[in-house]
Amino acid sequence: MSRPLSDPVKDAPKIAPMTVDRKFQRRRPQWLAPALLIMPAFVVVFAIAAYSAFSLFQLSTVDLTFGEPFRNAEAVGLENYQWLLTNEHSTFGAALRVTAIYLLGTLIPELLLGFAIALLLNRKMRGNSLFTAVLIIPIVLMPSMVGLIGRLYFHYDGLVNYFFELLTGIRHNWYGKDLALLAVILVDVWEWTPFFILILLAGLQTLPVEPFEAARVDGASRWQSFSLITLPLMLPLILTTLILRFMDVLRLFDVIFVMFAGGPGTSTTTLPLYVYRTTLVQRDVGRGSAASIMLIIIIVTLTVILIKVRERIKFEA
Amino acid sequence: MKPNWRSITGSRILDLLTLFVVFAFLFPYLFMVSSAFKSRLETFAYPPVFLQFTPTLEHFDNIFSDMNILFYMKNSTIIAVCSTLLTILIAIPATYSFARFRFRNKEGIAYGFLFLQMVPGISIVFALFFIARALDLFDTHIFLIFVYLLWNVPYAIWMMRGFVEGIPVELEESAMVDGASRFKAFRLITLPLMAGGVAATAILIFIGVWNEFSLAFFLTSTNARTMPTTIAFFMTHSGIKWGPMFATATIGTLPVVVFALLVRRYFISALTFGAVKG
Repeated sequence: MSRPLSDPVKDAPKIAPMTVDRKFQRRRPQWLAPALLIMPAFVVVFAIAAYSAFSLFQLSTVDLTFGEPFRNAEAVGLENYQWLLTNEHSTFGAALRVTAIYLLGTLIPELLLGFAIALLLNRKMRGNSLFTAVLIIPIVLMPSMVGLIGRLYFHYDGLVNYFFELLTGIRHNWYGKDLALLAVILVDVWEWTPFFILILLAGLQTLPVEPFEAARVDGASRWQSFSLITLPLMLPLILTTLILRFMDVLRLFDVIFVMFAGGPGTSTTTLPLYVYRTTLVQRDVGRGSAASIMLIIIIVTLTVILIKVRERIKFEA
Repeated sequence: MKPNWRSITGSRILDLLTLFVVFAFLFPYLFMVSSAFKSRLETFAYPPVFLQFTPTLEHFDNIFSDMNILFYMKNSTIIAVCSTLLTILIAIPATYSFARFRFRNKEGIAYGFLFLQMVPGISIVFALFFIARALDLFDTHIFLIFVYLLWNVPYAIWMMRGFVEGIPVELEESAMVDGASRFKAFRLITLPLMAGGVAATAILIFIGVWNEFSLAFFLTSTNARTMPTTIAFFMTHSGIKWGPMFATATIGTLPVVVFALLVRRYFISALTFGAVKG
């Protein structure tokens, strides 16, 4: 066990008058106090996690119809995984594709729009604190309610079509197979672009002034000082924000569930929706659980990779 | 010096653009709140009715008297408050340990908590469903309260660690030099100083639990059902009851919006697990 650089418990008594109590304290092993303090959190969190992980894995290796008691389950080994990945009737691949489109379709516009608006807000202007307050609202709204209002706004006679008709003269059928995914993406862009705005704005406001002054003295154009100073300095923060959003988008369930429940067809069935539809709609607990485990593996692996990438970039910057 | 008219009009245009953009983000929310006061006909009018409607309270009347929305609000409040308090109680000692002690594998354990936080609710909800059935805890408040700890405790630890590390350790040390025990130094010095951060963390956890949908939806039926999951009641065979839905959404989101604006100062660090200071 490594010794702390400055451990007040060890160092302080040399100056303070020593009490019996403290003498006793000194003889306790150093890891005891931190271990005891972490114990409740560790036990609770890891107990819940381990118990659920265990039953999830168990469920993923059986053939069981949802609604039947567990004793009717029939052990099938890893067949469920095999079926999901290789069977021609499996729509797991389609769900992966929808998830990828959904990820890129939300993250890219949110980042670009969010960064642009953050730059717009990063000027001396009256009412700025009011604006940032307003931008918190979409983020904290109840997602299930957001899904429902999304459903109404994207109705053929809804708000979105009204503005579309105003601008382009045409109304679209957002409930159809072709546009449902776009509708879900647009709701997410509305809800979460403020996330990028608020974080990137906070980053912009803490940038050092000196490089910009030096650049101005050297006669750099606005574009040059943006692309050569602002962007590289902001890159680590941009990546952090993207990683946080990445995890959230990949596990998003409620808004899509309430808006279209994965339909029409499989057009909005991202991986979380796929888990739900396999388990509850097709009532196949085994395959649903296998898909759940693959979803967890995908999220954790990709996030770890992204964190590693960000660390490398941080060192180079 | 002559004023630079070009740059002044330029910045005026940018000001207007900013105003427009911010309003665009607010607008769907405003329209939702206003729709709670519209009659059914006005909700479905095309082109949409923006301001020219006669406000009515019938939907609020409806959800309080017919749909018993107070019952679901009570459930949400019990679950959110209990889970939040329990989280803070468990997380404070752990946070202190991560922030003030050095021990082997510290960062590894901290990341272990973070990775558990990443697990999607929907991916374990059906396993939890079977567990709840086996333990006879399906549709109870207590089960949800404990299940939420899996996400809340790691979040609280990561959030509050930054707040504790921001408090100079010398303050505690000097108290101990004066003869205070480590616990007493924590209680009298560090705890009061981190109170603001704890309160902000608690509010953000409360918001998260209050809004949570997938676990609450599949792990409750009638007894412990929460506000966000009442949306199922609005989707009837004869179509969606939009008026009551908007009224519920307005009431359900009101406390959250108020709370969020209260802790606005901490909001950025809250969104980033304390990685970025706002």
